[in-house]
Amino acid sequence: MKPIRIGYSTQRKLLGFTFLIPFLLGFLMFFALPLVNTVVYSFNFITVDDMGVMKLDPVGVQNYIDLFTVEVSTQSQQILRVLVDENTNMLVNMPLITLFSLFLALLANRQFRGRSIVRMIFFLPIILGLDVVTDMLTLTTGSEGVVAGGGLFAQSLVVRLLVRYTSIPTMYLTPIIQFVENIFSIISRSGVQTLVFLAALQSISPSMYEVAKIEGATAYETFWKVTIPSILHILLFVVIYTIVDLFLTSQIAQEAYSFAFEKNKIGIGSALSVVYILNVLLVLGLFLLLTRKAVSKHGK
Amino acid sequence: MASKTVNQALSPAALARKKRALQARLSPDQKIYLAKRQTASFGMNLITFLLIIGLCFVILYPFIQLVPTVLSAVEDLGNPNVIWIPEKFSTVSFQAAARMTMPEGIMTMVKSLGFALVIMAIQVFISTMTGYTMARVKYRFSGLLFVLVALCFLVPRQSLLLAQYIYFNHFDALGILRIFGVEWNLINQPATLYMMALLGFGVNQSLFVLIFSQFFKNIPRELEEAALIDGCGFYRTYFRIMLPNAVPAIVTVAILAFVWNYGDTYYTRYFDPTGPYMASKLATTFIDANKVTLLERVRVWYGVPVTSDMTFDALKQAGILIFLAPLLVLYLFAQRWLVENLESSGLVG
Repeated sequence: MKPIRIGYSTQRKLLGFTFLIPFLLGFLMFFALPLVNTVVYSFNFITVDDMGVMKLDPVGVQNYIDLFTVEVSTQSQQILRVLVDENTNMLVNMPLITLFSLFLALLANRQFRGRSIVRMIFFLPIILGLDVVTDMLTLTTGSEGVVAGGGLFAQSLVVRLLVRYTSIPTMYLTPIIQFVENIFSIISRSGVQTLVFLAALQSISPSMYEVAKIEGATAYETFWKVTIPSILHILLFVVIYTIVDLFLTSQIAQEAYSFAFEKNKIGIGSALSVVYILNVLLVLGLFLLLTRKAVSKHGK
Repeated sequence: MASKTVNQALSPAALARKKRALQARLSPDQKIYLAKRQTASFGMNLITFLLIIGLCFVILYPFIQLVPTVLSAVEDLGNPNVIWIPEKFSTVSFQAAARMTMPEGIMTMVKSLGFALVIMAIQVFISTMTGYTMARVKYRFSGLLFVLVALCFLVPRQSLLLAQYIYFNHFDALGILRIFGVEWNLINQPATLYMMALLGFGVNQSLFVLIFSQFFKNIPRELEEAALIDGCGFYRTYFRIMLPNAVPAIVTVAILAFVWNYGDTYYTRYFDPTGPYMASKLATTFIDANKVTLLERVRVWYGVPVTSDMTFDALKQAGILIFLAPLLVLYLFAQRWLVENLESSGLVG
C-alpha cells in the first residue's frame, strides 16, 4: 500500500489547527451559541417552571416595544433615557481618556531622574481602575456618587479666583471644573491606554527624531509630523479599546442583569442585551467609518 | 555619545577650564542664544516636573485620603477637627472589614490569589497558541478568524452573561452530553471558570489573543525556517523557539491577566457565587442593602457605641485596602518587568 503523503504546508495547517481547537470550541459554546440564544430569547416570552425548565412563547417584537415604552430602569428612568445618557457619557469621556493617557505617556517617555517611579505611579490605574475598586471608592456620605477626592476642586481657591476675578463666562468654566472634578474617574480608566501609548512611543525609531532635528523642525512640528503619524494606528486601537471599556462598565449591563435576575423578565433582559450589542457595534462602526480616511493615509 | 565619554575622561576642573575657554570665544549673539536656550529648557523642565508631581499626586490622592479614615477610631469619624491625623488610632475598621470579606481568614485571600494565578497561566498558554496560529499559519479562513476574535473582544461580555448562565445551567457541551442522556449544572462550580479560560473565553482573553497574534506577526520568519531546516517539527518550533522569544509579550499579558482575574466580579459572581473570590466577596458584601446588618455587626463585635454612614465608608475603604494590598506588593516587583519589556512586548503591531 502506498503511504499517504501530506505536503509540508498541509501538515502545518493541520498541526496549526490543533492550536485553534480550544478557541473554536469556546467560540461555539461561549460566544456563538449564547449570542444566538440571546437573540432568540429576545423574541420570546419566557417562563421558568419549578423544575428549572424554560418555556418559550414567541411574541415577536413585543419585548422590544415593551422595553422602550413600558419598562423602566432601576432608577425609574426610561430605557431610552439610559441609552442616550450612556452614549453621551461615552462620547464625552472617550476623547478625554484618550488624550489624557497620551499625555501621561508623553510625560513618562521623557528623560528625567526618577522616571521608573513615575512610570510605576502612572501605570497604577491598571490596578485602581478595577470595577470593584472604583465602585467601593464611591462614598455613601456626602452627595451621591462622589468618588473620594472629588468635591475638592469646586471649593478651592483657584476656582473662586477664576469665578470672581476673571471675566470667563461660567458657561465655559463649568465644564472645565466638572472635568477636573471627575479626573479620578478618567484616570482610573486610562491605565492600559497609557501602557499601550508608552509602548508605541518607545517603538518610534530615534533616527526619525534625529532627522527632524537636523532638518530644523521645532518640537511642535516634530510632534505633529513625526510622533502622531507614527502612533496613529495605535491611537485608533486605544480609541476602540476605550469605547469597549466604557461600554463594559456602563449602566446598561446592570439593567440587563436586573431585568433577568431580579425582575424575572428574561425576554426583556435579552432584548436589552441585543440593543446593547447593536449600540456598541454601531458606535464602533461609525467611528471606523469616520477615521478610515485618515488612517489609510498615514497608517500602516 | 562619543563626546560624553570624552567628557567623562576629563577631571571636573579640566572640564570647567575647557568650558570657560570655549565661552570666551563666543560672540555676544551666540551668548544670548545660549542663555535663551538654557532658560527655555530650564522652564520646560520645571513645567514638566510640576506636571508630573501634580499628576502623581492626583493619581495617589484618593488613597492617601483613605489612610486617616481607616486608621481612626470608629467614634472619631466625622469629627470636623480631624483631617489628616486621627485623634485616636485604631484598626477596628480593618479588623471588621477583614472579618467580613475573608470568612476563612487569610486563606480566602490565598485561594483568591491562587485562582487568579492558575487562570492567568491557562489564559496565557491558550492565548499564545491561538495567537501564534492566527499570525503564522495561513488558512483560507484566516481573515475571518481575525474578525471573529475581534468580534469577541468588541461585544461586551455582560450582554451574553444571561444566555451563558442559562446554558451553563443545562450544559450539554454542544449536544455531546445529551447523546449520553446527561446534563450538567455548571453553575456554582469553579470548574466552569477554568473551562472558560481553557477554551479561550476568560476575562478579556480575546484581547490577549489579538496582542499575541500581533506580536508573532513581527517575529522574523527566518527564525522558523532555520528551525525547520534543523529538523524541528511544528510543535517543537513553537515550544522551543517561538514561545521563549515571546517572553516580553507574555510578561505584559500575564500581569494584565492576573490583575483582571483577581479583580473580576462578573464571571465569579455569576458562575461561582459561593467561591472564595475576594473581588466578588467585596462587591457583594459592601452594598447599601447590607449596611444596617454590617454596622450592627461592628457594634456587637467591637463594642462600638455608635455607628454611622461614615463607619460604613470606613469599612468599605478598609476592605479595598485589604483587597489591594497583595496586588500592590506584586505590582512593586512586577512593574520592573512591565516597563523593561514594554519596548519589545509587541503591544504595538
